[in-house]
Amino acid sequence: MLNYRFDWAVVTSGKYFDWILSGFYVTLKLSAVSIALSFLLGLVIAMMRMSHARPFRWFAHGYLEFFRNTPLLVQIFFWYFGSYKILPAAVNDWLVRQDFEFAAAVIALTIYTSAFIAEDIRSGVRSIPKEQMEAARSSGFSYVRSMQYIILPQAVRLTIPPLINQFLNLMKNSSLAMTIGVAELMYQARQVESYTFKGFEAFSAATFIYLALSFLITGLMTLYDQKVLQPIKGH
Amino acid sequence: MARKIGVFVLALAMVGALCGAALAGDTLADVKKKGVLVAGVKDSLPPFGSVDPNTKQFVGYDIDFVKYIAKKLGVKVEYKSVTSANRMPMLMESRVDILAATMTKTPERAKQIDFSYTYFLTGQKFLAKKGTVKSLKDLEGKRIATSKGSTSEQNVAKAVPSATVLAFDDYPQGILALQQGKAVAVTTDESILAGQLGKLEKSRATKGKFEIPDIQISMEPYGLGMRKGDANFEKFVNDTLLEMEKNGEAKKIFERWFGPKTDSPINRGNFMITADRMGLE
Repeated sequence: MLNYRFDWAVVTSGKYFDWILSGFYVTLKLSAVSIALSFLLGLVIAMMRMSHARPFRWFAHGYLEFFRNTPLLVQIFFWYFGSYKILPAAVNDWLVRQDFEFAAAVIALTIYTSAFIAEDIRSGVRSIPKEQMEAARSSGFSYVRSMQYIILPQAVRLTIPPLINQFLNLMKNSSLAMTIGVAELMYQARQVESYTFKGFEAFSAATFIYLALSFLITGLMTLYDQKVLQPIKGH
Repeated sequence: MARKIGVFVLALAMVGALCGAALAGDTLADVKKKGVLVAGVKDSLPPFGSVDPNTKQFVGYDIDFVKYIAKKLGVKVEYKSVTSANRMPMLMESRVDILAATMTKTPERAKQIDFSYTYFLTGQKFLAKKGTVKSLKDLEGKRIATSKGSTSEQNVAKAVPSATVLAFDDYPQGILALQQGKAVAVTTDESILAGQLGKLEKSRATKGKFEIPDIQISMEPYGLGMRKGDANFEKFVNDTLLEMEKNGEAKKIFERWFGPKTDSPINRGNFMITADRMGLE
């Protein structure tokens, strides 16, 4: 009845295996860079959002609403195709000589995810009793230093579970980068499919790798929580 | 998101494979019974298949062939947009009955679906800024845009191995990348490029700035795609194509979309629809 012959060798050896492998490498690179950047940017935006200086707060508020509420695909196209019109010609020329597809994907993923991360961090910070901040400030710590030494180490610890979610989402969202020609995992899987018509095998391999990456991210974050953050809190 | 779509497509493909196997074989009788021929066509690729901005109707070379076939069958046509990457699954999962979507006949594809006689013959060329590309040498190590899942992508990777191939979801994005200098050329079949060049010529900002240099890297015979082993339907379609050549309808359609007064003039040369096996050997 099922007139389809499975051929797993297509994706486990030879040229097509190499393609999938290179796709895996690009997805890993894209995710790792964007996760690191989006976390840092998310921290900065969260701090601005909670700052007492109005311009910062307004900026952060606008940033959050704008980037959380527009589709990631639109943002990817904006950074890749749309930025052309607003950048000077010299900058465009320079960008094209770099790996601009990859860069545009990193920018889009970073900015999009940082908006979610900022909100998670903010809610983590809000769950730390405000007396701690008051105590720190009255002991002579500046706002930034109190955040750095007192509040954030506790807040980040509380933020780990939602952060895992954001990082997982980012890794999965990175597959949208294929729409601007970044040769990541999904792109390569489709490539293998169009050369061999073995779509089932190609997409199974991709699914398996995404799953493995998800477990890797969850595992690393949990380990970080247990080995680094728990001792800080003194459990 | 795209990963989810992938899984969804997989699930559909499995269901489709089951259904497809169950009812393979008689599209002709099926279509007559339904009274509708569902055709997979391109929707933004003039002059083959695009949506007329005024009438909101599908128009183009591919469309006219489908219309004629449907008229002969005495049924209505329903158009479904397909891309180079999804058209074969759409056909195999029975979501369309026939593909008229600028599809090159190749032996690999012919293992999955059946092709009609060649109804259009073209070759793969390049579209570039005027004077920038004179031979294949000018493309070495450069970035060339094309469309995912097309034969163009596979041919150019072979013809210029040192080039970086940027594969987009469809050709208009490649043209945008070319305009923005993100690629030095767009490569695909001359007939499609002629249509894109026609669009560029119409806009004042890009008029006279692009060209299709005379560099051909492959022959591309187009066939209509049908499900494998669907002998009745295939015979009907092939006979209709031969009839269209004989009564001059095929030539008329060609002149309508590629004649000297159109936006994408090309020469039909001595091409004729015959009982050929071009591209399949």
